[in-house]
Amino acid sequence: MSLTSTPIPKIQTKTIIQMNNVWTSYDAKNFALKEITLSVDRGVNYAIVGQSGSGKSTLLKLINGMMHPSRGTIRVDYQTPDITNKKFKKMMAKIGYIPQTLGLVKNLTVLENTLMGALPRINTLNSLFNIFPSNEIDEAHRLLTMVGLENKSKRKAYQLSGGEKRRVAIARALMQKPEILLADEIVSELDRVTSHEIMELIAEAQRRINLTAIMVHHDINLALEYANRVAVIKNGEKILEIGVDGDQIIDFQTGNMTQQEILEMYE
Amino acid sequence: MNPKNNLIIGIIVAVVIAASINIDANPVNFVDGFPKLIKIAEEMTQVDPNLFHIAFSAMFETIQMAIIGTVVGVAIALPLSILAARNLNSKWVYAPLRALLAAIRTFPSILWAILFVIIVGLGPFAGVLAIIMYTIGFVAKLQYEAIEAIDSDPVDAISSIGVSKLQLIRYVVIPESASHLLSQILYMFDYNVRQTSILGLVGAGGIGYYIINYIQFFEYGKATVFMLVVLIVVLVIDLISIKIRDKFIIKSQRGMEMKIK
Repeated sequence: MSLTSTPIPKIQTKTIIQMNNVWTSYDAKNFALKEITLSVDRGVNYAIVGQSGSGKSTLLKLINGMMHPSRGTIRVDYQTPDITNKKFKKMMAKIGYIPQTLGLVKNLTVLENTLMGALPRINTLNSLFNIFPSNEIDEAHRLLTMVGLENKSKRKAYQLSGGEKRRVAIARALMQKPEILLADEIVSELDRVTSHEIMELIAEAQRRINLTAIMVHHDINLALEYANRVAVIKNGEKILEIGVDGDQIIDFQTGNMTQQEILEMYE
Repeated sequence: MNPKNNLIIGIIVAVVIAASINIDANPVNFVDGFPKLIKIAEEMTQVDPNLFHIAFSAMFETIQMAIIGTVVGVAIALPLSILAARNLNSKWVYAPLRALLAAIRTFPSILWAILFVIIVGLGPFAGVLAIIMYTIGFVAKLQYEAIEAIDSDPVDAISSIGVSKLQLIRYVVIPESASHLLSQILYMFDYNVRQTSILGLVGAGGIGYYIINYIQFFEYGKATVFMLVVLIVVLVIDLISIKIRDKFIIKSQRGMEMKIK
């Protein structure tokens, strides 16, 4: 969980996501996000916490280009995210996105839902006939084993429990061989044990591949436990950004803080 | 009840009365003619059991026509519905297609049947073509509406991966709208069986040919046999579609209950 132990690959720079003075608006007067400036290093677990309606989900959609800022700049691996831009497609394939509702296709099987993560690198014609290369199918089975769902790979997605659905969504995202994982409150509705299992899965994936995880949480304790960095969003503004190193919490403006102080600010 | 509501009800009643006078709808005629209905009903009870085997073979032809019409119609309607969905296409594609589908729906199937009898001659083939046209018009409309109403979450999640549009259609749009399609196929087959039963009126094959002939010659008892067979078959089809619905549709919709606090 320490910042320094994160391996930094050759050639690639340390920062993968950079936001400068980003504003987004629903209309001329109401801003969902105000003056957001943040940078995310490769391989870290970056948590975004805040109350409902604070603009956390919007922040994720800005990173994968589903939404655009009305002011400010965003760079994801030196590119401006834009889902409609063909040039960004390669990057999109490398960004795993798990919305709060997970976005599983309920009438398809667990295996098919997982394989969808491989679609961008598969010949369109073959994929239309449900023909996947055997190495991709092996990879899907390997990931399903990792998330503990191999015995349910033939089940339809609608037959799964809430925790199992999240595991499928994680397997689908990992199937992309992602560099960035965006997860929107995927453990909020789960019991404690299951949410820790899910968080462990993501931590495990981060250890194996150099994955940058940006996770939106409702529960700040969970964020403090698993994240290297925590940004607190309130009414669309970033009110606090802290680094977490083991038990130590560092506020970059005021120095060390206790968990109690953080919780008080969050309330 | 406020004055505005009273005014609206008053207008509706006035329109109905005015329309009745215009089309010469007189309740007195109905009451005067009522004894005739009793006479017909009495004759209808004198069924001719010898005709049942002819009735069933005619019904068999009707069902075959409905099967071909439904399958071919749906096969054509499905790609059209994808092209006519507003959430998947530019308006240059969907607008003309929707206009075409609306034009197809303007004709009831009996008019399509007359048209095809003129083109391909009397017989079941004209009936099948009529059913295909009718099925295309309706299934394509119902299905593009279903596609436009699919859950946007999987669409967003999968399109953000950077998949091609065809892949998105194959893996999200079609599976997500599949239960609607199944329910429309079942409804359409049921409808087409009943519809085919009357296409015989214009010589387009099926059991309707017998029904109209017997009624024209006032042999109500014989016509009853054929109508009973239609009733039995429609009930059986209804039972089967309830079973299919329970197995495939109800289950998958229960899966939609994502818990939201």
